[in-house]
Amino acid sequence: MTDDRTHRIAVRDLTLAYGQTRVLDALTLPIAPGKITVLAGPNGCGKSTLLRAIRRLLKGTAGQVLLDDVDIAKMSGKDLALKIGLLAQNPSAPGDMSVEELVRLGRYPHQTMMQPWSPRDAEAVERAMAGTGVAELRTRPISSLSGGQLQRVWIALVLAQETDVICLDEPVNHLDIAHQLECLDLVARLNREHGRTIVLVLHDLNLAARYADELVFVREGRIAARGTPTELMSASLIGEVFGVHATIITDPVHGSPVCIPASRSSAPKAAAEKVAEAV
Amino acid sequence: MTSIGASAPVSSFPRAPVVLVAMLGLFVLLSLCGVAFGSTWIPLEEVAKVIAGFGEKTQNLIVLQLRLPRVVAAILSGGAIAVAGYLLQKVTRNELASPGVLGVVDGAALGVVIFLAALSNESNALVTSIAFQPLAAAVGGLCAIALVFALAGNQATSAVRLLLFGIAVAAVAKALTMVMMLIGPIYRTTQAARWIAGAVNEVNWSEIQVTFVALVPLLAITLLIARRLPPADLDEVSAQSVGLNVPVARLLIFALAAALTAVGVAFVGGVGFIGLMAPHLARMLLGRGVHVGLIGSFLIGAMMLVAADLLVRVLFSPIEVPAGTVTAILGAPYFLYLLMRKQSYDG
Repeated sequence: MTDDRTHRIAVRDLTLAYGQTRVLDALTLPIAPGKITVLAGPNGCGKSTLLRAIRRLLKGTAGQVLLDDVDIAKMSGKDLALKIGLLAQNPSAPGDMSVEELVRLGRYPHQTMMQPWSPRDAEAVERAMAGTGVAELRTRPISSLSGGQLQRVWIALVLAQETDVICLDEPVNHLDIAHQLECLDLVARLNREHGRTIVLVLHDLNLAARYADELVFVREGRIAARGTPTELMSASLIGEVFGVHATIITDPVHGSPVCIPASRSSAPKAAAEKVAEAV
Repeated sequence: MTSIGASAPVSSFPRAPVVLVAMLGLFVLLSLCGVAFGSTWIPLEEVAKVIAGFGEKTQNLIVLQLRLPRVVAAILSGGAIAVAGYLLQKVTRNELASPGVLGVVDGAALGVVIFLAALSNESNALVTSIAFQPLAAAVGGLCAIALVFALAGNQATSAVRLLLFGIAVAAVAKALTMVMMLIGPIYRTTQAARWIAGAVNEVNWSEIQVTFVALVPLLAITLLIARRLPPADLDEVSAQSVGLNVPVARLLIFALAAALTAVGVAFVGGVGFIGLMAPHLARMLLGRGVHVGLIGSFLIGAMMLVAADLLVRVLFSPIEVPAGTVTAILGAPYFLYLLMRKQSYDG
């Protein structure tokens, strides 16, 4: 139902290097339109780099990122900003900027010299603020907000941009557990209700398994595996990609697979298996 | 998170237009006072009459040939430097940035000193027209910023790297200026020293015309590209993802600020700290709107230099003390205040 309005992204043989260090190595990945794709992997595996390459914030040395079969390297910056939004890992803005002022910046790619601010822009900003529950904070300077509120404001900025594809780089990094869930529920709602294609980088495997339609494991600049959370959350695969012994159980509440990693020093494997049997 | 200290509790400034109008009124009044004060006091209504074209002959001469030029020069120069400072503070996301730190002012000073030293004959007379002096200043200033960009190379898109290279180039230019002054002819040295301190008293109408003609298109371009300034408030990744071409926008804004500074200092000389203080005050009084911020910076910068010139005339008459010394004496503590406040925010 949403496929016709959602853009298709495909990464094809993408190689990307910082100086001599190769971060992405001939990586190929089709992104499912209208779905939530979660990129996970150990630190330094290239998942954030991949996300930025999809938005063309970084350029590959070989290979392409295709948006509806067009190489994004050939697109104008503005055109791209109308189709793919990205929330950076540690975004920053002046502390005395108001919430509304920050959200309005999401409309920048929609504005032109002749048409600086239209009613459509105002509506999009209102919708974005209402959808993220920050409308009542609109006049507050962003330095006065809590971490959870601030993250919702940044998501509102990306929403106001009204792109079909939204990339979020570790959006729940500095949030407590309640705000992590709140933030990811918001993202899931964007996907279900508005058909946006979501690409997320997440560190927490269990959150990844709960929210992902498609889970992608990245390792050493390549795709180690991709599939549904149920397919990917296996002890052997997690051991191979992350280098930890883990036990996989099924979340009795949500039904999604849950990974219980064994501490390297203490937790004996037998005890973990006992837990698995018990559940 | 707080790259600029939250100076106001709420950041929307509904009264900004009112403040701007009040500022404009103060600016006109101060400019008239700048003409009225001097060795003889000319009442404000007489000044207004002369400017409107109904003055008597002697007053016409004093106002139009002696006093008005220095006031107009102060307005244009102070305003241009302040707008350059506003642009630099925006694009570097740093309220300590100013035309001085990018090497433009010191580069322009070096240009002038080399010009004076190289083109004087044995009897200390300039072999070419003094009208080329501002050209030398502009060339020096643009060379300095070009050098900053050349040295920064691939790192030119990083605001911090650019500022560091700017400070280094400024230091070298300053040292070379000193050397040139020490080995140069003595009469020229005094003249160069006055220029370096920043003085508006010797500017004539033809020089003002040149400044005006160069300044109008630069200010027009500034207002046209002001739309790109708000996203530049964001970190690089966020600015880029809302569609701002960050490297291009930065280069454009840096070049514009350099050109504005070169035009601002070309005749008047290195006026210190206006480029730092005026934009900061404008933000404090008018909030974060870029258009009011730019206009407010121009007015505040202009008022600061007019007031500084007025002050040296009243305090030190008949000795002509360069107005730049006043702005420097007031500006340096302000800079320290900002520095210490910023530290308390960062720490």
